[in-house]
Amino acid sequence: MGGVGRALADRLLQALFVALLVGVLCFFLAEALPGDQAFRIAAARYGEDMVSGIAADAVRAELGLDRPAWLRLADWLLNIARIDLGVSLVSGESVFEELVHQLGSTIGLSLAALALSALVGPPLGVFFALRAGKLPDAIGTAAAAALRALPSFAVGIALMLVFASWLAVVPAAGYDQPQSWLLPTTTLALGLAATSSIVSRQATLAVLQSSQIAFARTKGLGEFDVVRRHAVRNAAAPVVAYLGVQLVYLVEGVVVVESLFAWPGIGHALVHAVIARDIPMLQGTALAMGLLFVLLNAAVDFACRAIDPRVRHA
Amino acid sequence: MHLRGVFCGFVAATVAAWALAASGPAAADETRTLRIVSPWEITGLDPARSGYIFARLQVAETLVGADNGGNPVPSLAENWTVSPDGLSWRFRLRPNAQFHDGTPANAEAVARSLQRAQSLTGGMLTNAPIAEIAAADGVVSIRTDRPFVALLAFLAHSSAIVLAPSAYSEAGAVTRIVGTGPYRATVVEPPLKVEIAKFEGWAGRPPAIARASYLAVTRGETRTAMAESGQADLVYVLPPEAVDRLRRNPRLAVAVAPIPRTRLLKLNAASPFFADQRVRAAISFALDREGIAASLLRSPESQATQLFPPSLSEWHVQSLPALTHDTARARALLADAGWKPGQSGIVEKDGRPFRVTLRTFSDRPEQPPMAAAIQAQLREIGIDMRVAIVNSGEIPAGHRDGTLEMALFARNFSLVPDPIGTLLQDYGPQGGDWGAMNWSSADLARTLEMLGSTSDPAERARLRAAAARVLHAELPVIPVAWFDYGVAASRRLQNVSIDPFELSYRLDAMRWAE
Amino acid sequence: MSSRFVRRAIGAACVGAVVLLAILGPWLIEADPLRQNLRAALRPPFGDDLLGTDHLGRSVLARLAHAARLSVSFGAASAASAALLGTGLGLVAALRGGIVDRVAGALCDATMALPGLLLVLILAAFAPGAFWPLYLGIALALWVEFFRLVRTVARSRLMAPEVEAARLFGFGDLHIVKRHLLPHLLPALGALFAFGFGASVAAVSTLSFIGVGLRPPTPEWGNMMTELLPYYDEAPIQLLAPAGLLFATVLGLQLLAGRDTK
Repeated sequence: MGGVGRALADRLLQALFVALLVGVLCFFLAEALPGDQAFRIAAARYGEDMVSGIAADAVRAELGLDRPAWLRLADWLLNIARIDLGVSLVSGESVFEELVHQLGSTIGLSLAALALSALVGPPLGVFFALRAGKLPDAIGTAAAAALRALPSFAVGIALMLVFASWLAVVPAAGYDQPQSWLLPTTTLALGLAATSSIVSRQATLAVLQSSQIAFARTKGLGEFDVVRRHAVRNAAAPVVAYLGVQLVYLVEGVVVVESLFAWPGIGHALVHAVIARDIPMLQGTALAMGLLFVLLNAAVDFACRAIDPRVRHA
Repeated sequence: MHLRGVFCGFVAATVAAWALAASGPAAADETRTLRIVSPWEITGLDPARSGYIFARLQVAETLVGADNGGNPVPSLAENWTVSPDGLSWRFRLRPNAQFHDGTPANAEAVARSLQRAQSLTGGMLTNAPIAEIAAADGVVSIRTDRPFVALLAFLAHSSAIVLAPSAYSEAGAVTRIVGTGPYRATVVEPPLKVEIAKFEGWAGRPPAIARASYLAVTRGETRTAMAESGQADLVYVLPPEAVDRLRRNPRLAVAVAPIPRTRLLKLNAASPFFADQRVRAAISFALDREGIAASLLRSPESQATQLFPPSLSEWHVQSLPALTHDTARARALLADAGWKPGQSGIVEKDGRPFRVTLRTFSDRPEQPPMAAAIQAQLREIGIDMRVAIVNSGEIPAGHRDGTLEMALFARNFSLVPDPIGTLLQDYGPQGGDWGAMNWSSADLARTLEMLGSTSDPAERARLRAAAARVLHAELPVIPVAWFDYGVAASRRLQNVSIDPFELSYRLDAMRWAE
Repeated sequence: MSSRFVRRAIGAACVGAVVLLAILGPWLIEADPLRQNLRAALRPPFGDDLLGTDHLGRSVLARLAHAARLSVSFGAASAASAALLGTGLGLVAALRGGIVDRVAGALCDATMALPGLLLVLILAAFAPGAFWPLYLGIALALWVEFFRLVRTVARSRLMAPEVEAARLFGFGDLHIVKRHLLPHLLPALGALFAFGFGASVAAVSTLSFIGVGLRPPTPEWGNMMTELLPYYDEAPIQLLAPAGLLFATVLGLQLLAGRDTK
């Protein structure tokens, strides 16, 4: 039990480290970018019609953008110590409150997509592996490649056309009805399931070809029992490990899906923050995503340990 | 066999989840919600940032409104007078006007809200020569430094919406939207959603539509799908390529509304490339406006034959010769200006090839393809134009630091319902962030100044035509296309009309079909 | 004929066709990929132009062929850089363990915690419209995928009795990597490479979807998909053509890499 406690503390420390690193890195990157921050913020705030030199000067004065960069970074770090993420330069709202609203929507969407893809991808992968070389396998391989080759907005638009425009069974966009979840979740999940089905297929094939399984077969166990007893457990390790990587894809997918389906999430906020050079918002978003990632990653690690006892001794 | 069973189970479960959740769009009930979709996000509660959304939703009102012709009409102010010297304005408010928190919208509260608007960063009143805003004897009085005819138009701008004292924090920031309109905001969820309901304390004719929701949807494809599926009743700014298809939809009524906005090329007249009027004229002749308007904008009538669109009837001059496409003349003009064919088809002068960068931004999705079209058209006359897709702020930033060479954007001439407000900003002696750059005309400056203080209609018409002529001949900016956009309305909705100045969605006049 | 052979053959045909298009296409197809004709915009396929024209009246076939060079080399470069970096680090981490493993792991976590898209967005802001920030950003975001897979699989393989036996016989790391790890890893790596290729080209189109892409008029598959998206209704073939080529490439690579039952 002590081991788990230590690992947890380890993770927590790592999380803090990652959070600070990401925040500081974002700050420097955003500072180093070419272009005038005051104009970008003014454009994001007041729109193209009203952004002007005068408005930019007012923004510069209001936000103290003339102060040296290190002073502003020090401010941010001091605020972080007090668990205060500052105020968005664009909306003027507290970054923390915006994050709570937007991160919540994104986490909900991501978890739903992960769950759906976990429900579909790996079982399909195992199925394809067992039918390797046959028609279902060929179709599955082609479908996975197609889903990876199509950008997620194309998948999203296609789903929207079929299910919202033609069949009119689900809302095309928005977030005010339970049905609103279907299209964005499915769009995200399809991309994820494509990859995880292929990873599971490979992993299962590898296990099926190993000596253990051959032995099990010679023992006379039925196909289902072989798969259940040996293959699934052994193949699960790479698949779960891969789940961690998928989180990265999620972020990318989330950005597209959120803007396509008018979902008020963090991906949306992130893109806007980069475009507008809204540094506090950028730092806050990256920080939140970083922390979230470390947490999920820890969860995946523990799951891996639980599945594959051999890793525990490593 | 087992395995197939497990797999089929998974598939069935997924399908069932879909089927269960997809029990169809929400059924209509007696208090049906009107769903509005537009591309514009709520970037903050501050009236300079998103005041226009609350003004259009008729949650908040300005002192003065505008009719379809841009003439001032009563809004929160019932009537007004101006002193003979043109410096003092007195606005009498609508009696028994009430804020949504139940407090009276009296002269004191209104004056205080306008004072805040006057000092608002990014607001419109900042640009007006206002000396004082005060409340006295139940009227709001505004004094200007000089006679300023356009004051009424400035007061109609959405950054000057009137909010209740309870809308502001102690520091003066807007923390909630408490207005005086026929609708009150029930849910405000930046950046995407607003919900409104009929305000029971509204003294005027009660609106027939009791509830409405506003959703910001940035992608045109999504807005189209929402119109097609019936998920939205009112969809603003249809992508041009979807208009025809939506027209064929029996459930929808589609209107294309011209807006006083012009897509134009801004040129840095101080650069060695564009200082010569002949070069600017050559670029104008090189543009295939008809092709751009017809195939990219899907609106052949929107090709700009002069700067001001016909919808600005007071400024559009019928007699001006149309800007046309004539590649041969463009080449000849370039040659006159000393640009001779050089290597790989690029013209050059004094050994310097004609190579420039155009800045544009993708917030308006038609702009990058338009830039690509212009790029190819200028290449025809030997100009190598690179396209940089930037943030819209980079255009005024480049104007300020002098690095901007060319820019493509859509300029709004009705920031306030009287275009003079925009023109004074754009074509004054110093040029303007979204207008002329390093170009000025003493003639034009004088004309605009006189327009600002003259109220005789005939004289004003003469001055307007004179100003339009200078801009047409000198081409400090090159008009490319006028602006219109499509609106799709559900046929269940009646009395839909479009405000050309985009001040209001006019929800209070709409009603559901029986 | 074994199904394995068929798979490989189809895979090779797909990849070969795309590579041929990239190499020979621009020579064989006369049309200029930049030549516009606004009056012949969105012409349907099988007319003057085999695949029709895009929204600016440019030949889609010519653009596809020219784009193939850019997209194929871009996808291959990003995926290969990521694969080399990720596999190398992953093997070293698994073999050495201890501090090396921890440092590599921390690096990987830090990369993943900084969303890849953010990295690309910020890099792209340094040189708007240029290619290198996209390449760098995508490769930097992709390597972790290879790293994690290689480390996990290698770790569990190193516990296998035959590897422990090889160690006892005194074989070095290189031998173990060559004999016991790589053969085990290659199919999965191949699949990841195929996906990495697809992901990098798709990422370019995602970026232009959010307005941070290449400068017009450069033809590139990802960019073409975004440009033609608004016309999905009028010009579906033109929209699907770049996606189809990308699909053929990803599928081909995947079939070439795939593992089969013996």
